[in-house]
Amino acid sequence: MAYSELEMPERADHLWRYTPWHRIHPNGELSDVPEAQGAVLELRSLDGSTEPAGVTLEVATEEDIQRLCLSGKEDVSTQFIQAMTQGNIVVLRVARKAKPSQPVLLNIECTGEVCALHLLLDVGELAEVELITRLSGDADWTGFLRQGIFGNASHVNDVVINHIGEGRLLRTDGIHLGRDAQVRGGTVGSGGASRCKADLRYIMEKEGASLKVNGSILTLDGMHNDHHVEILHLAPETYSRLDWHSACSGKSRTIGTGMLRIEAGAKGADAGQLFHNLLLSKYAEADSIPELEVSENDVVGCGHGTANGPVDDDQMFYLSTRGFNETEARDVLVAAFLNATLTEMGSTVLHQHLLKTLTQDLAVEL
Amino acid sequence: MAENTEARDAVGDYRYGFHDPENHTIRFDNGLSEKVVRDISALKNEPEWMTEIRVKAYNHFANRPMPTWGNMSMLEEIDFEAITYFLKSSDQTENSWDDVPDDIRNTFDRLGIPEAEQKWLSGVTAQYESEAVYHSIREDLEEQGVIFLDMDSGLKEYPELVKKWFCTVVPYADNKFSALNTAVWSGGSFIYVPKGVHVEMPVQAYFRINAKNMGQFERTLIIADEGSSIHYVEGCTAPTYSTDSLHSAVVELIALPGAYIRYSTVQNWSANVYNLVTKRAVAHENATVEWVDGNIGSKLTMKYPSVILKGEGAHAEVISVAYSGKGQHQDAGAKIHHLASNTTSKILSKSISKDGGRGSYRGMVQVARKAENCKVNVVCDALILDKDSRSDTYPTMEIANPTCRSEHEASVSKVSDDQVFYLMARGHSEEEALALIVNGFFEPFTRELPMEYAVELNKLMALEMEGSIG
Repeated sequence: MAYSELEMPERADHLWRYTPWHRIHPNGELSDVPEAQGAVLELRSLDGSTEPAGVTLEVATEEDIQRLCLSGKEDVSTQFIQAMTQGNIVVLRVARKAKPSQPVLLNIECTGEVCALHLLLDVGELAEVELITRLSGDADWTGFLRQGIFGNASHVNDVVINHIGEGRLLRTDGIHLGRDAQVRGGTVGSGGASRCKADLRYIMEKEGASLKVNGSILTLDGMHNDHHVEILHLAPETYSRLDWHSACSGKSRTIGTGMLRIEAGAKGADAGQLFHNLLLSKYAEADSIPELEVSENDVVGCGHGTANGPVDDDQMFYLSTRGFNETEARDVLVAAFLNATLTEMGSTVLHQHLLKTLTQDLAVEL
Repeated sequence: MAENTEARDAVGDYRYGFHDPENHTIRFDNGLSEKVVRDISALKNEPEWMTEIRVKAYNHFANRPMPTWGNMSMLEEIDFEAITYFLKSSDQTENSWDDVPDDIRNTFDRLGIPEAEQKWLSGVTAQYESEAVYHSIREDLEEQGVIFLDMDSGLKEYPELVKKWFCTVVPYADNKFSALNTAVWSGGSFIYVPKGVHVEMPVQAYFRINAKNMGQFERTLIIADEGSSIHYVEGCTAPTYSTDSLHSAVVELIALPGAYIRYSTVQNWSANVYNLVTKRAVAHENATVEWVDGNIGSKLTMKYPSVILKGEGAHAEVISVAYSGKGQHQDAGAKIHHLASNTTSKILSKSISKDGGRGSYRGMVQVARKAENCKVNVVCDALILDKDSRSDTYPTMEIANPTCRSEHEASVSKVSDDQVFYLMARGHSEEEALALIVNGFFEPFTRELPMEYAVELNKLMALEMEGSIG
């Protein structure tokens, strides 16, 4: 259904409760679909030493669109970004059995008043790839839609870094996992957009798929960061874990909402989600809504949890006895808290890259 | 006959599904209007302020749309025009069972209320349809100044006290069903416990719907003054009909500084009753409020006992269990609002879904910006016993103070094969083993109930487990 035909979401909708659509829409006029500038894309190996073998960036064909645009047919943000990009869609393709030796870095530079990108991901069967997508630029508003398939038995470590400037970011993912696919999905935001609304959906419709989703989010000043992660278990013997760490300082607000849905027939599903929030200032706020809908009784287990708290006094004391001043000790503890999920996002090389980004943003060393 | 078969099919072997012939002294026509609201108020000879608030609430109800969350399809099935909003079965509230009309007394005998009263209760209110038919309180408590009345008598005898607290915890405009209750409320309990008085044994209210298409809208207001304590227990049943009834209560609790209120409910409505209830408490400095809430019956329950922790050092606890069988949706949970510093709360929710039933936990914990050093613990466990059933968990945690430590955990699982095997190796049949495991799962709830209720609940659950194997 096209955006213009969709009913506008109400605030009572779980998905839009904390960031109503009019607050993340480019100009608040909900019927308006502004003209968007395209983003500038660059694809390379992480260290730049080699071409990423078997990985290409192409203009999507009609066949790609039919095959890969599976999700979000009645979803407002998906249809909105599709309406903005008007069929100018790019596909990142990883060939069957491709195994690039280095993580692949996709730099996306977003500029102008309104910038939008519709990216399709087509990861072939048995491919093994680590993909880092880095969003940067000074666009006032960015819309970033990713849809696609991680093929059967593929191994994918997929990390998105939000390094957008002061603008607003609307991000939507709809990723389908193939049979026995092993996927780690990571989201890193240390700084980034002043207002971010992300709706990340993973659909496990083939047997044996395994998914680990990790978030490492730092919000500063008056930032508003709202992530919704939806994991859908449709097939038997599927496995998922979500571990989301958010540290909020200044007057920022971080929101983590999760929906873990086990449909009838997903026997042997094993699913869990955790949201951890570290509150760093008097005026920061953290909200967590980890939801669970289970319609199958023959499951290994389904659970969720949340924990909120300040920086631990005992840990601060320990570090102060080792010569750290209060600010240093706090920064180190925050970095360690955020690093706990960074380490789960991929290989050592990938982790080192993410850690470098984090330490630069925090100006601390781990 | 066809109707009975249909009803039996819908509700299974519900032991309280019997009903008496309808012998009413007053029955309003079905349907709701401002006139009905004014007529109820006039019939009760209420003060003008109460009539006004009823009318305002009615207008709010009429203009407010149905909730856009929860089980909307079931909610849409409610036909407000098919419901009787006031039905009086007895001329007055008696304080001796001998004076209660025979048929009504027999009903409460079958429910075991007079026997329980003699053994372990400080006072009893028995409500049949719209009004209380029996009421008693131990003399020693009365002498200490404890007020325990049905709500209508409370309004007549203590109008100023009722006016001071009525609608202060649950305003009529809080939600559509609190507005409905405020418009047409009848019956319920009014309790005031004076400063420093401890009511050692529980007081009980029992709510019974007997008539078809009946709406029961009791209103309960409990005020525990400084340093006092009380345990209030309520139970409810209804006959089995193939048409639906509506129960929409409002309960307001006020725990003044240092007071303690425990409110225990075993809800066992028949599976043709919509149970849409607003229960909320305010806890002042160092006060404690505990909701012990069991939901076994009804077609659809939407109930989220809440506590507003308004005073420093206040504590809230909610222990709830829900059983969802065929055609049932138990949408229950808890809400805690930490407005003051050093407040603590604990929520334990357990649910079982079977035969296509759906159990949902829906909860909210809010910690206000100025509330320092709060502690929150929420645990939700669910068991799904067969492939047709469903369990949902919808918790919300909104934390606006960095000194708060909050934890939430939830799990959904099936009954462990190992546990069943162990119990069968000790000589239990598979069915017995399952019943034992289920009772063990509910044990954190049953151990908080008075013994008689706990035994009854265990028996009920064993009955529900019958035929669940194979």
